[in-house]
Amino acid sequence: MKQRHVQHLFWRAGFGIRPKQLNTVSQKSKEQVVDMLFKASSSATPLKVDTSEIDHFSTAYILKNKTQLPEFRKISREKLKTYNVAWVNRLVTSKETLREKMTLFWANHFVCRDEHIYHVQQYNNTLRNHALGHFGDFVKAISKEAAMLKFLNNKQNRKQKPNENFARELMELFTLGEGHYTEEDIKESARAFTGYNNNFEGDFMLRRFHHDYDFKTFFGHSGRYDGDDIIDIILKQKQCARFVCGKIYRYFVNDTINEKRVEELTNIFFEDYNIERLMRYLFMSDWFYEEANIGIKIKSPIEFLVGLRKTVPVTFKKEKDVFKIQKLLGQMLLNPPNVAGWKGGKSWIDSNTLMLRLKLPSIILANAEISLREKGEFEDTFDKYRSNKKKNEFVSVEVDWETFNYQFKNVKVNDLKTLLIIPELSAGTETYLQTLSQSSKQDYCVQLMSLPEYQMC
Amino acid sequence: MDRRQFLKQSTLASSLFFVPSFIKAFENVSASSLGYKRLVIIQLSGGNDGLNTIIPFHNDDYYRNRPKIAIQKKEAIKVTDELGFHPNLRPLKKLYDEGYLTIINNVGYPNPNRSHFRATDIWQTGSSAEQYLKTGWIGRYLDSYGKKPYNAIEIDDSLSLVLKGEHINGIATTNPAVLFRTSQDPYFKNVLNYYQDEHLSEHNLGYLYKTMISAESSAKYIFEKYKTTSNTQTYPNNGFAHQLKTSAKLINSGIETKVFYASLNGFDTHAGQVNSQARLLKIYAESIEAFVRDLKQQGTFDDTLIVTFSEFGRRVKQNAANGTDHGAANNLFIIGNQLKKPGFYNELASLSDLDDNGDLKYTVDFRSVYATILDRWLAVQDDAILNASFPKLKFV
Repeated sequence: MKQRHVQHLFWRAGFGIRPKQLNTVSQKSKEQVVDMLFKASSSATPLKVDTSEIDHFSTAYILKNKTQLPEFRKISREKLKTYNVAWVNRLVTSKETLREKMTLFWANHFVCRDEHIYHVQQYNNTLRNHALGHFGDFVKAISKEAAMLKFLNNKQNRKQKPNENFARELMELFTLGEGHYTEEDIKESARAFTGYNNNFEGDFMLRRFHHDYDFKTFFGHSGRYDGDDIIDIILKQKQCARFVCGKIYRYFVNDTINEKRVEELTNIFFEDYNIERLMRYLFMSDWFYEEANIGIKIKSPIEFLVGLRKTVPVTFKKEKDVFKIQKLLGQMLLNPPNVAGWKGGKSWIDSNTLMLRLKLPSIILANAEISLREKGEFEDTFDKYRSNKKKNEFVSVEVDWETFNYQFKNVKVNDLKTLLIIPELSAGTETYLQTLSQSSKQDYCVQLMSLPEYQMC
Repeated sequence: MDRRQFLKQSTLASSLFFVPSFIKAFENVSASSLGYKRLVIIQLSGGNDGLNTIIPFHNDDYYRNRPKIAIQKKEAIKVTDELGFHPNLRPLKKLYDEGYLTIINNVGYPNPNRSHFRATDIWQTGSSAEQYLKTGWIGRYLDSYGKKPYNAIEIDDSLSLVLKGEHINGIATTNPAVLFRTSQDPYFKNVLNYYQDEHLSEHNLGYLYKTMISAESSAKYIFEKYKTTSNTQTYPNNGFAHQLKTSAKLINSGIETKVFYASLNGFDTHAGQVNSQARLLKIYAESIEAFVRDLKQQGTFDDTLIVTFSEFGRRVKQNAANGTDHGAANNLFIIGNQLKKPGFYNELASLSDLDDNGDLKYTVDFRSVYATILDRWLAVQDDAILNASFPKLKFV
């Protein structure tokens, strides 16, 4: 497989690839590489944080100790921060690359936000478990998740007083897209989800007295449907496969939809709603590797951060620095802006986020300084002394250049750019880079990461 | 583009040395000339309790629902037979007396959302409760009428949705000097110096370069304006006052910025409301007072309209923790000296006829307020920006 194609595949199916792995993988055929990718993700390692200090909280315990609930909430919110950091670290280190990338994708599809650490954790792992599974099972699982029941008010959805919020978003955002259902469909299907509820631990419960067991008419079918039946009927609409494939295409291939390709994916997906099969088809197709699809997507803040940390491992000394960066860049995991999720693409970029993105590699890796040393210039030891002395104010990090040096040992300085930059460098920028001294791989790495081109994958 | 216009633009562009000429297409309008209307939007984040801000001191329902936290009749600064200001809003009462303040009661929208995030989204995008818009109402104003990021400035470290458009975004800064320094990294300048504009196009990478160029020139422009002026007033020493101080400096510099956005946080008073809200209202009122004086002193108050809103009001009935929970309709302040109806614009809604949650019912849609500002103040096509037509009010 061509090195460039491997890089492309690993950026879209993951967060980039390191030189040593790139070398080995490039020797293999496309089929072998894609197989390898799926094999590595055949397992699903749950993401959990230590909650032992609040593990005695349960439905029964809460009933007797209502006054301790505020304390639980407080600790829970702290745990969420730890969970956020653990998730980001997971993205950097996991071997289940594709599964993690898909989990991130689904987290912005089945968008949800909650503050109860058990429920958040359970929800996140449901995304992870189903990430490459059957889409129908996935939607059904989501409809019964405690965090989702709360987020879209399905807990308040009762026979006597239906709440349509979940039913509406189920069709508008999760399965069919706007305009492919009627208000009547929403009303009827909302009744099928009445009585859905959960306990403190996050287990699903059907409250029978609140569930509407009567006939519902939905998409021309009639029956005593419950939520699962409704989801089965939705899956029978080809529009559902089309809607999901459109999102997959935009996320993994190109912001600009190619109707023909999406229809091609739709035909595959509609057969069995098997996500793994769909993704395999996508990564095996020739058009995925067309130049027009390579290096043209703007990295999300998380892709940007995780990719950087894969190239140069970094340990943040303070948890709060990890949030600060996510917040300023406009993507804080577990904190989506609303049920429609992050818009992505150009919307990641405004004057402020772009300036920060360009500046961040040097802030994290080089005390905010990007070397300007030109070719043939002598190294100024005083400069070096000064930059080493300078206190890093914005973030407090430990940078692991050793791993970088090991990974890039056999890489020629001039080849760094093909490894770090996916799109074609603009001619002027290329010319400028050639004027700079390339005596230090580390300096050159920071320079490359500070280019607009590094924002693309 | 005709020849004259082209020449005008290229002369302008040449003064900004490395910026490709064709993306420097801003109008040569002097902002310091009279009649350059500006809008300052202030969000009281967290959901300010409007009923303890403007006190219905004659209302039995008010006192019955709030036995522990109501502002007592003798404490309220009375301005009508029914309503009075919170004791810490004396500076606002002064503005009221001078005819510089309009208070619009019961502003909201159908099916109010009680989540901070979602409600803030709704206010910032100008959507209905059922719509998810991905651009802010000021962002869409920029799309149609703005040219540069600095046409709308948020005094913060990052940009809120309200200032994000489809094609153009505003810019955020708490400190123009820091923003300028960041944008002037010699490495970036070199990259841009070498960059050839013929490659600039609408695709994503071109978009990044364009954004980089406009960020650089905006940061420079803002800082240059910022340097030229000073404040004439002493402001209180707090973050919010500092935001207004920065805004005043920029406004008084004649900067071509139509909209400023600032916010004061901490109004989510679920527990122990009395003291925390009092502290925040004091900060708000004193800072606003300094701000208005500063503008008046330098002759820019005439052309500045200040709008203060909160994403929702709070429940009429207090809770067990001597606080209030998330509510719905709320009052909104308009400050300026071109007001058509200073004082109270409308009556406070009933405190006995509440919605199912026990919250005030709205009588004025917030998008009517937006429509009025767009149409009557900024003199633009409001329905195109709000994606619908809303009845206009007569406050300005």
